[in-house]
This record gives sequence, structure tokens and C-alpha cells, in this order.
Amino acid sequence: MGWVEHDGTWGVIEVEDLSFRYPGAEREAIRGLSMRVRRGSLFGLLGPNGSGKTTLISILTGLLPADSGRACIDSRILPAQTREVQALSALVPQDYAFYAHLSVMENLRFFAGVLGIQAVETRGRLDEALAVTGLESFTAVRAAHLSGGLKRRLNLAIGLLGRPQLVFLDEPTVGIDTQSRHFILEAIKRVNANGVTVVYTSHYMEEVEMLCDEIGVLDDGRLLACGTLQHLLNGAAGHTLRVVFSETPSAQQRAALDIVAGLDFHDKELRLKNCSESDLNRLMGSFADQRMGIARMQYGYGNLEELFLHLTGRQLRD
Amino acid sequence: MPVFALIWKEWKLLLRDWHALLLLFAMPAVFILVMSLALQDSFSLRQGVSIHYYLVDEDHSRLSAALVKRLDALDDFKAQSPDTTVEELIDRVRHDQVQFLVRIPAGFGKSIDGEKPVPVQMLAGPDVEPAVYKLFEAALRDVLVRVYLQETAAPLQSQMPGTDGMGNMSGNLDAADKLLNAQSLYQMNGENRRPSSVQQNVPAWLLFAMFFIAIPLSTTWVQERQQGTYARLRSMGLGSGTLLLGKLLPYLTINLLQVVLMLAVGVFVVPWFGGGSLTLGHAPLVLCLMAMAASFASVSYALLIANLVSTSEQATIFTGVCNLLMAAVGGIMVPVFLMPPVMQTLSHYSPMGWGLQGFLDVFLRQSEFREVAPQAAYLFGFGLACLAAAVLLLGKRKRK
Repeated sequence: MGWVEHDGTWGVIEVEDLSFRYPGAEREAIRGLSMRVRRGSLFGLLGPNGSGKTTLISILTGLLPADSGRACIDSRILPAQTREVQALSALVPQDYAFYAHLSVMENLRFFAGVLGIQAVETRGRLDEALAVTGLESFTAVRAAHLSGGLKRRLNLAIGLLGRPQLVFLDEPTVGIDTQSRHFILEAIKRVNANGVTVVYTSHYMEEVEMLCDEIGVLDDGRLLACGTLQHLLNGAAGHTLRVVFSETPSAQQRAALDIVAGLDFHDKELRLKNCSESDLNRLMGSFADQRMGIARMQYGYGNLEELFLHLTGRQLRD
Repeated sequence: MPVFALIWKEWKLLLRDWHALLLLFAMPAVFILVMSLALQDSFSLRQGVSIHYYLVDEDHSRLSAALVKRLDALDDFKAQSPDTTVEELIDRVRHDQVQFLVRIPAGFGKSIDGEKPVPVQMLAGPDVEPAVYKLFEAALRDVLVRVYLQETAAPLQSQMPGTDGMGNMSGNLDAADKLLNAQSLYQMNGENRRPSSVQQNVPAWLLFAMFFIAIPLSTTWVQERQQGTYARLRSMGLGSGTLLLGKLLPYLTINLLQVVLMLAVGVFVVPWFGGGSLTLGHAPLVLCLMAMAASFASVSYALLIANLVSTSEQATIFTGVCNLLMAAVGGIMVPVFLMPPVMQTLSHYSPMGWGLQGFLDVFLRQSEFREVAPQAAYLFGFGLACLAAAVLLLGKRKRK
């Protein structure tokens, strides 16, 4: 059975030592991955292209069988209980997974038919999905004629038709403008606010930072870190100090700051990762002693980009 | 039922795909019409003369006149009077303005029973098909033999009692025609008739079009796979069987609609343009069986291609090449009896060949169930094999 969460509930997604290799591939796409996602959370799965996000989602939606390990969705074991898992979850793929030559309404009706939604219920479900995604005034428009943002919304609307308890959103904002992205992110928040667990994959760290209450960092098929944003940035990356001096420090001034290891100078700028409070206090004292004028200073958690760099030694978008 | 939603979706998409509609319905209809009208004379020589030749008589003898007279009497070939020099006429034949030139040289009549006869010259244009060449040569040789016999046997005739010379001999030669009663075994309205081109062309091009259903089916399937729709449908709980059935059923109905429409073109449209009318035989249930068998084979083949290829371009090229090969080997483009033995053997393995054989059995031979059962069984077997391979490939693709 699944693991018990700290609040006493079962994790809606529980994965243990999961591995998967595509036929003919040299390396495993998923390598010994373990994670759990709390019921009702908005879980961000962050990782660069090719890190294994889509593969993991494919396993969790029953599209791919794992080679080894254990995956449970709401206490249903995959792949044995794939049908049950698929009945309570929905996948919103990265691509425009609908029919360009059908209208918005025709697409929704078709997928409602595929889901086996009863005729008496269909109208209500369609209206609901249209309202959440703001597509009410586009029902007669053929999908091919929609803008990129509206296509993304239709993609999401189809995913919501079955009133799923769990939604997997695979890079739902790729290739759209800021306004559409904002609309979709707000729609996702509303869906999550109604108690739906959302697993959101992206390589846009800003989105994940802004949207998700829990984050898993995936790279090369492995889960490098998992937890809340604060927990990750605090525990894994520590605090970062960034100082911009009013003048470029002299060699003598730089030497005087050597009381702290790991300083990184760039012209007028100084950076220090994993800067503890005592390091900060000692440096502040030295700045005063050396009469170094400070134009701007920033001290606090890093961001996900820095966390990823810290964990992998690579930029997220490498 | 999800499968009804899938069928509805396929129909809707196809009705909005003008290219596919043209490929599946307009193209074969035009093919049937054009080919039936173009080959009309080849199948029914009484309706018109299409083989032309120049006839140059440089001999001007009694025998050359007899030769010209007999050649003029041929229904299937039309002699044209020379209006310029022989060199110019030969040049026209070389450029296919006229198919043949027959030149009766000076001295032909005098030398016919001599030791060194002056032969009649027959020249054919470079584009003349071997079959037409042989046909014309045989007709010319037949006329020459008659004239030769008439001339060489005349002296013997005059010595025989009760004969009155050449006229009687001529009568005897023509009487030889009565020794041959040639007729086709194709029956229409209880009479033996030569089949019209439409009887041969409708099943041939209908089958050709039916197998082209692989293009719209496989390209939509590939697009669904590439756009993630296929993954979405599977994530909604649709199994391989439902997905395949969702393609198989709508395209089977499209195939059967093709059959009805193409037969209607043969029955109603071709005669309207002056061609022969298609007669459907006397076994509608057997015709339905053949239509079902061919349809099942073509849609299953399409499903196999859809699961074999990775891109729409591959689907189009692969289908086009495979269909042309199957059509060429199966006798759609060239009658099987004209092929060399190896190709004739190969034609036994073409699904289009099985289908054509079955339809011709129904249309031309008035065959009953027992006679077309092997062709129908081959087509159903081929369809099942393709479907099994498609299921296997679909299972493999799930892990990609």
C-alpha cells in the first residue's frame, strides 16, 4: 500500500525505485526514481528537455509499463489497474492532441463520447470545461483556426471533461504568448483549488516557482530533489549573496575580503553561494573597514535555476 | 460507446478532407470513365475503326486491285488514300500520324507466282503496340494468302469440270470463313456477346481505388500518433482493439460506398458518354461477398501500413508504390494473359489480382458463390494477416 503523508493522508501518486528503458536505447529514461505527490497539491515536475518528464507521465497514465519498481495512483497499482487509474486521471499532452478539422464543440463532444459520458450529462460537462478554459465564444470555430493560446486552452478543456481527480499537464504553456500563458496558469490554479491534484511538467522555472506548491527536479531520468520551493531552495541551494559596489574593488580590497572562501568577482559585482549568516556578518564588517561603497545588495534564497545548476552543474536550458 | 464516437469522428474528418474525397471517389470515377471510353474500340471493334494505314498501289495490276479491294473490305482497319510522296507518307508513319503503310510495289502482280516475287511492304510506326502490329500483320497476310491462292489456283480451277474460273474460286475461298464460328463466352440477355471495356475497367479501377484508402487512413493515423491524440485516446482507456475497430468500421463503409458509386458510374455514367453499360451479373449476393472481401483486405492493408510507417510522407509514398506494384502484377494495368510466365505466376499472389478475378467472375462469367469462394477466401485471409501484423506493430509502438 501507499506511503502515509505527514498529514495522515495517502499520497495520490506513489512511485518507488521506478526504472524504464525504451527499446534499443542505450540508457534508461527513468532510473530508480522514487517520489510521492500529496493529494490536492499542485506538483511541478521541473527538468530540461529529455530529462524523463514525459516518460514518467506516460508511465503514470498507464501508457508505458515500467521495467521495474512500483507505481501507484490513488492506491491503484500500475500497470495491473491501468483502467481504474485512467478513469480517475487525465492527461493533457504537450502537443495539440485534438482534431484540427473539427470545431471546438465537435472536439469536446467527440472526447466526451470516448470517455463514455452519458448523453444527459454531456451538456453540463461541456459547459463546465468551456467555462474553466474561457472557450465559450469559440465553440463553432474549427480547432485549426484557433490561435496557439486558444489551442492550449482546448487541450486543457478536453482533459477536464472527465472530471478527473488527478491531471497530468505536460508542458501546457509551450509556444504561447504571455497573456495566454497567464490565462492558462490561472485556469490551472482554479482547477487545483477545486481539489484536483495537478502534476505540471515544465522547463520554465518561473512558472513552476509561481504556480506549484511542491516541486520535483528531474534530470537524466533521476529525481534530484523534491519538496516545497522553500524547502528546496533553503536546504539544497542555501542563501546567495550578491553585491554591486559603486566602484571596482582594488586588489588590496579583494585580498581583505579573503576571510570568506568562494567569492566570485565580476568587475563591480561580487557573488557568494551558500552564504551563511556569519559569512555575511564578516563580509559586511570588511566592506566597512575597506570603505567599499555599495550600490546594490541582495541576500536570500537562490532560484530554481541556481538550484538546478547546484544539483547538476548545468543550466536548466542547456 | 467509444467506438461510435470514433466512427463519427472519422466520417466527419473525411467529409472535410477534399483531397481524400477526390482520391477515393473522383479519381476512380474519372479513371473508369476515361479508360472505358478510351478502350472502347479495343474491346468492341464493331463500334468504330481506330487503326489507320496508308495504302500505296504502285503496281496498278489486276491483282493489286484485288488486294486493295479485299483490304478495303476489312472492318477493323481504315485505308487512307495517299496524298503525297511515299517518302512523306513514311515520314508521317514514323511520327505516328498514321499507324501503318502498306506499299504494293510495281511488279507485284506479275511476279506473284514467279521464283522471285516482289513482296508487299508493311511499315509500322514506332509507337504501334506489338499486339496491334501482330493483328494488322495477320489481317494483311490473310488477304495476301487469299489473293495468292486465287491467282495460283485459278488455272487448276479452269481445268476442273463444273467451274467457271476465278469467281467460283473466290466464292470457295470465302466459303472457308464459314468453317469458323468465333464467339465470346460472355453472355448478356441470354446471348453471347463480346464484353465491353466497361465490364473490364470498372472492377479494375474500383479495386485500384479501394486499396488507395490506405493513404487517408494511414496519414490520419500517423497524424494522431504524432500530435499526441493517439496517446490521449489511450490514456482515456481505449485499447488497441477499440482503436483499430474505430478505423476499420468507418473505412469499410467508405470502401463499400466506393463500390456502390463506381458500379453506378459503370451502369449509368459511362453509357451517358457513349460507352457501354456495366452489367452486374446475376448473383448480387456473390457480388456483395466480393465487395466485402476486397474491402476488408484493403482496410486491413491500410491499417498495416499506418502502423508500419512513421510519417505521412512515408505513408503516401509507400502506399503509392505498393499499390502500383500490386496493380501491375495483379492485371489491373496489363491483362495477365499478356504477361510472361513468371509474371503470370506472380499475379496469383496479388490481392488486387484476387479481387479482379473475383469481380470478373461475377460480371463476365456469371459465377456463383462456389466459383468466387477461393478469391474471397484469399482476400479475407490477406486481410486477417494484415490485421494481425497491425496489432503486433501497434503493441510494439506502445513502448516507443
